[in-house]
Formats: sequence, C-alpha cells, structure tokens
Amino acid sequence: MNEEVAMAIETPALIAPPSEAHVRQAEDVPAASVTLRLRNVNAYYGPRRVIRDVNLDIVQNAITAIIGPSGSGKSTLLRCMDRMHEVVPHARATGLIEYRGIDLYDRRIDPAAVRRSIGMVFQQPNPFPTMSIFDNVAAPARFNGLVHGRGAAADLVERCLRQAALWEEVKDKLRQSGTSLSGGQQQRLCIARALALAPDVLLMDEPCSALDPVATLQIEQLMVDLRADYTIVIVTHNMQQASRVSDRTAFLTMGEDGAGYLVEEGPTGRIFTQPREQLTEDYISGRFG
Amino acid sequence: MAAEYPALLKPTSRGRRLKADLVVLLAVVATVVALIPLASVFLYIVGQGAGLLRPEFFLEDPPGDLSAAGGGIRNAIAGTLEMTALATLMAVPLGILIAIFDTEVGGRAATGTRFLIDVLAALPSIVVGIFVYSLVVVAQGHFSGFAGSVALAVIMLPLIVVSTEEMLRLIPKPITEGARALGLRRWRTYLSVFIPTALSGIFTGLLLAVSRAVGETAPLLFTALGNNFFTAELSEPMQGMPLLIYRNALNSAYPAARDRAMGAALVLILIVLAFNLLGRWLVARRKPGRGSGR
Repeated sequence: MNEEVAMAIETPALIAPPSEAHVRQAEDVPAASVTLRLRNVNAYYGPRRVIRDVNLDIVQNAITAIIGPSGSGKSTLLRCMDRMHEVVPHARATGLIEYRGIDLYDRRIDPAAVRRSIGMVFQQPNPFPTMSIFDNVAAPARFNGLVHGRGAAADLVERCLRQAALWEEVKDKLRQSGTSLSGGQQQRLCIARALALAPDVLLMDEPCSALDPVATLQIEQLMVDLRADYTIVIVTHNMQQASRVSDRTAFLTMGEDGAGYLVEEGPTGRIFTQPREQLTEDYISGRFG
Repeated sequence: MAAEYPALLKPTSRGRRLKADLVVLLAVVATVVALIPLASVFLYIVGQGAGLLRPEFFLEDPPGDLSAAGGGIRNAIAGTLEMTALATLMAVPLGILIAIFDTEVGGRAATGTRFLIDVLAALPSIVVGIFVYSLVVVAQGHFSGFAGSVALAVIMLPLIVVSTEEMLRLIPKPITEGARALGLRRWRTYLSVFIPTALSGIFTGLLLAVSRAVGETAPLLFTALGNNFFTAELSEPMQGMPLLIYRNALNSAYPAARDRAMGAALVLILIVLAFNLLGRWLVARRKPGRGSGR
C-alpha cells in the first residue's frame, strides 16, 4: 500500500503535491480499529476533478471531523463514503473505499445497499413532509425489511428517538407531521431515522449549519453520546465545533488544479495545537480560507 | 429649517406616486375585464337554466322527441360521470408513469416523450375523436361508452403528465437525497415519498383534466355517439352532457330543447364546480398533523 501511495505522489499530474503527510497520516491507528479505509480516492464532476488522491482511515467509535475551506471537497469526500456522490449526474469516484474490508465500489455491490448500511444526515433537515414523526422513523426501516408489525415498529421508533434525544419532546405527538417540529428537532428526527436502519457509521454533512446555537449544542452532545456505538464522520465549517466534538480531524484544502486534497489527518488535539503542515496551521489560525 | 435629504432618501414625488397608483388601477381593471366573460356566461346560464333544476330533471330521461317539454337529463349525467370515471382510471396511472419516466430517466428519451406529450396536448379534440373512432369504434363495429372513455382519456393524458411532472420536479432536493441516502428502492421512494409529497399538485392537475374532459363534445361525437335512453352499459352507445347540450342547442328553435340545453349546461358547470371543491377539500384534509409545513 505504501508503494501505491508513493507512486501517486510521483504522478506528474499533481500540480501541488503535498508533503509526505500522505504516507504517515495513519501511523497512530491500529489497523483493526479502522471502519472505513480510503485509498487514492479521486472524485469527479464530469471531466472536473474535485477530490485528488485522498488516503484516509476512519477510526471506529470515534468522531472524525473533516474541515477545510469552501470548495475543498469536504462534502464530496463524505458523499463518496456512502456512494451518494454518484447520485449527481456525471459524477463519479475512483480509488478504493473499504468498509470493514468490503470494497464499497465492487461491481457486485448495490449502491442502495451501501446507503442502507451507512447512515447520512444532511445540512438541511429533511424529514419526509407527508409522513408523521412516527412514520419518518419507522417507514424507512419497514421499507428495507428491518421491522415487521405494529409493535416492533413502535419499539424501534421509541428506541431510535431516545437515542436521538428526541423522545421526551415528541412522545405525545408521534402522529404529527415531521415538518411541524423546530429545525433542531427535525435534525434529530433525521438522525433517529438514520439510526433506525441500524448502521454503525453515521456520515453528517454540516448537520448544524442550519441550526441555532442551542440546537447545535444539542446535536453536538448527541454525537458525543452516540460515539460509543457508532463511527461518526462530520463535515463542518466550524472549527470550534471540530475541536469541541471530534477525536480526529482531517484537513482538506484546494490545490492549484481546483481539486481538494488531504493535507493532514490526526488526533484533533494535535492537529489544533501542533499541526505538521504550514497550510493546516494557517487555516486553523485563520490566516486563510 | 428644511432637512437636507441624502440622495437615496428623497421623498417620493407626487407624480411618482400617481404613476404607481395608475399601474395598480390598470391591474385591477385587467382582472375585472378578464372576469366579465366568466361572470356573464355564468349568470346568463343560471338565469336561463335555474328554473329547470327540479328533481325530475335529474331523475328522468329526455322525451323521445326533442321538441316535447318535460323529462330530464339523467342519461347524460350518468353517461358523463361513468365515461369520465373510466377515462380517469385509464389516464391517471398511465400519466403518472409517463411523468415518472420523464423525471427519472431524463435525457434524450424524456425530451422525446415530452415533445410527443406536448403535441398530444395541442391536438384538436375532434382529431382525437376520429382517432379513437378508427381505433376502437371500427374495431368493435359499433359506437360505445367505452370508446368515449378512451377518447376522454386521450384528452386527459397530456394534462396529467405535464402537471405530475411539474410537481415531481418541484420536490426539494434534500427530500430526494434523503430518500436516496436511506437506500430506499426507487419504486418505494415514488410510492411512499414523492407521489404523496406531490399529491396536492397532481390532484390539481387531475381536476383540471377532469374538468376539461367533462366538457368535451367533439371526442364523444364519433365514439359514444349519444343515446336517448339511460344505460350504464359501457358497450352501448352512451349519452354525455356535452352531447345532449349540443343536440338540444342545435334545435333551439323549440323552446323545450333550448331550455333543456340551458338546464344541462348549468348542471355541467355545477358538476365541474363540485369536482373542484371536493378535490380541494380532499387535498387540504389529508395533510398530516397540519404542521407549519415549511
């Protein structure tokens, strides 16, 4: 694998090759605790490359924050991890993304199956508008054959809403529309809906950027609570948020070719206090981006 | 002492305000002008036809002789309702499936269907009548209510496709992505998320299509033909409201026929109105929880 990476660095196509950060990024991670393994991941919109040669290990039962300036491909990279990137017309990804040793881009793997196994929460809370709070959680699980019958569904809904720290607020109005809730409650409903499919990875794409500070803190607390059972990857614009909640931080930036690449990755404490790359330090101290 | 106004904070001049008022006035006048034909037709028909709306007008068939007074339009009401219902059953599933094809498949194939649907929508209704005549009536060997239904379905189809497609396109991207990210199957996503989300719009389009079909005469002329007697049998020639109005209005020299046409026209308008109100009420009622709906 190190050979592959070394080769990638020598590729002349790379206009601004990053330092050997590529090679050493996962040195402190034992292989057994890696949930998602990304190797030489490139992502494209039509002919335009937006992610270049990302190598990244996502650690189990940890919160990994992906930070970086706008246009550095944070969301795109996240969306590659559950094959949501290719939903956009003419979008594609290359390279290797392994989930517990399974190649997610294997031709025999149905992208929908990947999305059922890896949960995703979006920037804009998106409960299904015609469904009740109950059905928002129960229906996707039922449609995917995970739960049968009224009683089991009710148990599942209660469990997931409790996990998402929403149960107490909605237990008396489960029949109401999901969109009748506040923004922060809607976002927690969407988290509950994702949890109902029993994933062990949760991808969160700027989940708090449409929320007020109180709702943001609730979601952050929730992420910390969920860490014991889930592997969480969060894309965020907010560096305070990354430093508050994440265990590991990956910093992406945009290269001169317009494609985002990974500058460095490591334990959040180290990234924020002793970044190895000048680019990281500049970004974290607010000197660019 | 007069205050000094900054450049962008000058008080609006009298002339400017007058001009603004004038534009509002023009808009109001335009609206009123547009409403005049509607109101005058409606009032005229109510004035001419209201006197006929007695129970027997709905419960009896017309007399064999158009010029004779009395009788009702039961056969035409039943025929129109039955043919429109069957046409709806044919056009709605087909129309929704075509709309899903267009939004889901996209590309050149969808551009092609979209163009064909536009052509179909622009087709004169008499041509639709002749088309169904040659397709169904000739094949069956006789006129029938079924043939009338097929003709009405052809009229309704493009309206349903266009409105459904428009509504599916309006579904917010976060909703479509949310469904995708849950790994829901496509048919399931449409059935349980997209169609319900777009339902009120689809329903509005359907109402428009039904209102249009209920009032169409030309497609029925060569298909359902008309029938002086009541029948619920779709294999027989069937009377429709527009056909009855047409035949009686043609003979308006006879006061009885003229009155019957007016009464039937009023009933037709009321049926369309009832469909609209019913549809709107159904759509308003089925929103869950009556949330803030953002």
